[in-house]
Formats: sequence, structure tokens, C-alpha cells
Amino acid sequence: MSEKPVTGERRVFMTGNEVCAWAALAAEADIMYGYPITPQTDIMQYWTRLAPKFGRKFLQTEDEISAGFTTIGGVLAGKRAFSATTGPGNVLFQEPMSMAEMMRIPTVVIIPQRGGPSTATVIYSQQEVTMTAFGGNGEGFRIVYSTAGHQDLYDYTIKAFNTAWKYRFPTFVLGDGYQAKMREPLTIYDPAQRGIQMVKTEPLVGLEGTPGRDRPTQYLRNTYNTEEELYEVVMEIARDFEKAAPEIVEWQDFDTDKEMDVLILAHGVVSRSAQGALPLLREQGIRAGHFRPITLRPMPEEQMRRAAAKAKRILVVESAYGQLLKLVQQSLYGLAKPIDTLLRPGAGVTAEEIADQVKEGR
Amino acid sequence: MRVVEAFIGEYASGKSENAINRSLELLELGHQVTLADLDTVEPFYTLRPLKKSLEAAGLKVIAWSPEQTMGLGEAGTLLNQEMIWALKNQGSIVLDVGYGVHGAKIFNLIEGAETDPDLKVFAVVSAARPMTATKEDIVGYIRELGRVDGLINNTHLGSETTRKTIEEGAVIVTAAARELGLPVVYTAVLKELAPDFPNRDKMGNPVKFIRRFMPQAFW
Repeated sequence: MSEKPVTGERRVFMTGNEVCAWAALAAEADIMYGYPITPQTDIMQYWTRLAPKFGRKFLQTEDEISAGFTTIGGVLAGKRAFSATTGPGNVLFQEPMSMAEMMRIPTVVIIPQRGGPSTATVIYSQQEVTMTAFGGNGEGFRIVYSTAGHQDLYDYTIKAFNTAWKYRFPTFVLGDGYQAKMREPLTIYDPAQRGIQMVKTEPLVGLEGTPGRDRPTQYLRNTYNTEEELYEVVMEIARDFEKAAPEIVEWQDFDTDKEMDVLILAHGVVSRSAQGALPLLREQGIRAGHFRPITLRPMPEEQMRRAAAKAKRILVVESAYGQLLKLVQQSLYGLAKPIDTLLRPGAGVTAEEIADQVKEGR
Repeated sequence: MRVVEAFIGEYASGKSENAINRSLELLELGHQVTLADLDTVEPFYTLRPLKKSLEAAGLKVIAWSPEQTMGLGEAGTLLNQEMIWALKNQGSIVLDVGYGVHGAKIFNLIEGAETDPDLKVFAVVSAARPMTATKEDIVGYIRELGRVDGLINNTHLGSETTRKTIEEGAVIVTAAARELGLPVVYTAVLKELAPDFPNRDKMGNPVKFIRRFMPQAFW
């Protein structure tokens, strides 16, 4: 009944959404809460087919507000709980996720981004960067991993649970509709066999003993009556977030060890096109490098600045109209480098298009 | 002779690849061929982008075209008249059916599916998909599908597929087929591996060499 869903390691071939369901199983997730929305629905469908075989649970809620709040409820009860949503569903998730930020509740949510604004397309975009990293009526004390394919979806879904529970911030795996639906090979593995210990979960409510006598009082608050009170709490969360950030940030760089004519900045699946553009540019005698932030929140600012300092120009490429760009501008503030852009809201970007843009920008 | 074959299977099993390859094979044998895309579960991630090139090759293709679905989003009516009447076409017919348990249910909506004397339903199985990686899992999965007349071993890792991948799949899929009392209709092998592969797999099943089309199905 509750045997391990993944033992050892093996090479497999499936869709990205299915990968997420397997990763959550391998990460010992106890329960998924969710409401269907394309292109996320298969995560739920695969989870509901697989979960009963391994003694795991699922609850379908009446909408995404409920899915977010029930995920919080599951975590409060000490369960490794998660959800998945996208687009308009992600909009509705912002209220519960703001609460999770304030109460330091380690929720995990997988977001295969779809097009916007409004309900828009069901297919693909990178337009949920701002919302996932900074949505809600708060400060964006969240952790966002931007994946670039199936291996990432597997690795970072597992990691998201540990990051969330270790640092107690809501954690997101930010994919997109292409990754959700495309098929490619990856290696699935039992985390324990790779030395990855799952961080122990624990209930945050209903603890043993009398508060104030047997144990310290557990203050789980989301409402503050005075500005001063709220200010103190938010500043404490901010300090914790900033302290943890250097341990959390992740990035990849390609050909950034030398002086560059151009540094291409891209995240998620677009990073694969950027990686593909490098040999095309090299053939033409253009010295190009690529920097990929894996965490979009917190952003690997220092590492990005170090790479950017070696380039004559920067090119920001994304399937959105400037959401990564804003984060880059903020990270590189003060560094006198011209920034070119290739912004394609809701549309894919190929390696050739990136190479062409670099040539035009020179 | 009229050939009517339905290919059913999970996402990433290779259902559409096998349906396309079979259609083109029949065309080469001189059949008049209709290929119908009946994926109602996710109609936006299917044969649609390939429609024009397959039609140019000589197939009649029943599938939504991007112009027809403009504005439908995820709430449109997704079964058109041509799909309901797909089995009434002249000549041979290949049906590419949506995935999983719900996908197979579409036969309820296809006129004549219950009574068509020539219809064969083949389940495309990849043992490189963790949900159908063991004999027991395949047997359980096929039993949920309803009518199945044969299995196709399409165990693969995309462009990483090797002879070993396919042969390991052949062992598992054949064991499942035996338990189910069904034939393994064939083992699918990428054309690129043809020089390395005999005409039968190690379990004695016939081998069919296929080309990959779906990497071009990037909408």
C-alpha cells in the first residue's frame, strides 16, 4: 500500500505534468488540494490515479481560493501538502498565499504558466513571473524556482518541499504550458538514495501541552490591529528572508567566464533557446554568454551582476512583456550596461530568433 | 481490403506517431486513407499542427484546424460532425484517440463503432512510462480501457531510444499481452535504428519501423 513510488533511478519518458505528480510522490507529499485548470489539470489527474496506490490523498475544492486555503490547512495540520494552478487560478491563489507569507506557512504550489492578461490562452507564457514572485498584498516573501524542462520539474518539485519546510516560506515551482505538455526523457529517482533527506514536517496547530506553561505560545496570526505591530512582524520576516536568500539562490551560467559582446538573460524554458543561440553566435564570431536565474525570488543578484560586468551589452529574452526585465533592471542597477530586449508575451522564442536579435542589436 | 484501426494510449506512449505512420503505410499500399484525430481530452495539443503536411502527403485528415478553434479557449465544443461520422468514410480509416480511460470512451460518440466489422482497437504501450512500466501495471491499465484487440510495444525514450530500450519494453509488454490473452501486434522501432534491428524483437513479435512526426507538432 505505502511502498515507495520510485526506487533506485531510471530513465523515463512522459509529459511534464506527469513528472510533477511523480516528483510529489517521491518527495513524500501527503496530500494535494486542487481545482482543475488547463494546462495544470493533468497534474491533478495523474496524482489522483497514483495517490491511492501509495496511501496519499487528494481533495478537489470548489475553486482556487479554497484550493489555496485548504493547502494551508493541510500544512497547519503537519502534512506535506501542495497544489497546482495557473493563470486566473494563480490570481485567486494570491489571497491564501499572502496569508501563507505572513504566517510563514510552507505551502508548495506548481504553476505551469498560461497566457494573459485576463483568462486568455490555455497554452503557454512566462507572464506569471510578477504574480508568482510578488503577488498578493504583501512584499513577496516567497521562493520561486523557474524550471527549464522535465529534469528540473522533477528535481525542483522535490526540492520545493524541503525549501518550504526548512525556511518556512511559500514555495513555487514555476513551469509553463510547454513544459507541462511536452514529452522528453528524464531520470526519476528516490531522493533518499541520492542523499536527499526530506525535511520533517510538523503540525503548527493542536500542539501538545498548555501554551505558556508546557510550551511557548504558538502565535499564528494573519491580522494585525496597529501599524506598529504589523511593521514589526513584516520587518522580522524581511530580515529572515534576506538572511536566507544567499543560501536559496540558484543559477546557471554558460560561457560567462570571459569578456562577452553580449550576455543573454533568460529563465525557464526560454533559457534552452538561449543556450541554443550560443553556438549559432559563436559561428559568427560573436562572443555571447548566457545567465539563467533558476530562483526568480530571491534573485541571484550578485552572480548576475558578476556575469553582466564582463559583457558589453545585455539582452533580456522572455515570453512576457518585461516581467523578467524589471527584475534584471533592479538587480543590475548602477551597472552602466545597455540593455536590449526580445519580449514576446505569450509566445515561444527559438534559438535562431535570439541569435538574430543579438545581431540586430550590435 | 478495408482497414479500420483505432490507436489508444496514454500521453507520451506514442499513440499519434503510430497512427500517422500506419496511415502513411496504408497510403503506400494503395489504400484511400482517412486519419481522424479524436483527442477530445486536450484537443489543443494534438495532430492539428501537422494537418496540412499530412494532407499534402495524400491523407484525408479529420482534425480541428487552428482557424476553426479561434476563440474557443478551453470551453469550446470539441467534437465536430466529421468526427462523429469518421467511420463512414470511403476506404481505410485510422483513428487517433485521446488518452487514457476517458479517451477510449469516445467510441460511444462515434457512429458505427459498436458494429463496424473491420474495427480493431490497439493500445499503444510504452514501458518507459512509469505508469505502465511493469507487467502488472500494464494489465491493470488495459483492463480499464474497455475493448482492446491488441497491444503495440512502443517503449521509447524519444531521441534517446536504443535497441535495449525497445527490447526491454518488448519483454514487459509481451508478458502483459500473454496475461491478457492479446497479441502484440508489433514492436515499433525508430527508422534510425533499423540497421541495428532484426525483423522480429527478442520476444518474436513483428517489428515495424516508424518515423517521428510529433516533434514537428509544436503548435
